[in-house]
Amino acid sequence: MKTSRWLLVFTLLASAVHAETIEMTVNGLVCGFCAQGIQKTLRKNPATQEVLVSLENRLVAILTQEGADIPDADLRKALTDAGYDVKSIERTQRSMEELRSTLKVKK
Amino acid sequence: MKMLPGRLALSTAFLSVAACTSAVAKPIAFADGTTVMAEYGAGTMTEFQAFYAPTFRYSLGGGHLSLNSAVNDATRDITYFRVNYLPKRWNFESAQANVFVWGGLGRAHIGETGDDQLSWNAGGQLDYETRRVYASLRTDYHDASAFSHRIDTLQLGVAPYEHDYETLAIWFVIQAREYTGDLFDGTEWAALVRLFKHNAWLEAGATREGKLQAMLMFNF
Repeated sequence: MKTSRWLLVFTLLASAVHAETIEMTVNGLVCGFCAQGIQKTLRKNPATQEVLVSLENRLVAILTQEGADIPDADLRKALTDAGYDVKSIERTQRSMEELRSTLKVKK
Repeated sequence: MKMLPGRLALSTAFLSVAACTSAVAKPIAFADGTTVMAEYGAGTMTEFQAFYAPTFRYSLGGGHLSLNSAVNDATRDITYFRVNYLPKRWNFESAQANVFVWGGLGRAHIGETGDDQLSWNAGGQLDYETRRVYASLRTDYHDASAFSHRIDTLQLGVAPYEHDYETLAIWFVIQAREYTGDLFDGTEWAALVRLFKHNAWLEAGATREGKLQAMLMFNF
């Protein structure tokens, strides 16, 4: 019983500091320059570890630094200021590798 | 202005493009982005441009345009400062359309007389693109006391496959261009292949007269 309680505490702590993936559906993504501009904008945020853009899936995904998050309002502002429209924002535990594999995006 | 058959064709094509929403290629690539471009236009025009965009709405920079008439001996060398502005953008699910306008001042060297004159320029662009088709209509006007020239360019492009950010984009493009002010007689047609990946863009082809038409662009 004591062991399982410690296991639960450890799991909660681990998930609290785990890097999170933010997946955004974005309108207007049609060319490489769009992707380049969005990557440049989002990489300026210190909470960003990695950015993935898939034109095919209208997806912009951000892997955050461990324990960090970017508020929805900041994400919407960043994308709007870059010239695009954010349709939805979702936080998932999918890794970038998993996303690349699922979306067939090359590294 | 006399209405040439080619001009009518350009106008009709423009109206068709405008009717199906609007028409691509951009003087503002992205916020905090720098665009450097060089174009060789079949011997009639050669242009270099460099712009920095503080936001996606506008960019500042300059360029140099050399015009060599295919009709007479007239030559113009125009060095200019320009502001580009994006008053309207439409972001669709799988498409984007833009309206750009620009204007600026410069110095023009008139080859025939050797005079240097103050010049001004203005222009605009309508564009529409998906990952399979694109269309753009662009007009560039340059004026000084000794001349006025307008260069109208229509491009229609089709991609054989839908590219993504990490894949090479290939486009097959038909270009129609008209010059006013005795620079070229009629419509100059060109067939082009455009390749781009990441921040580099290369477009090359030939006009119906067999002359090279090419453009290089980098965004960073």
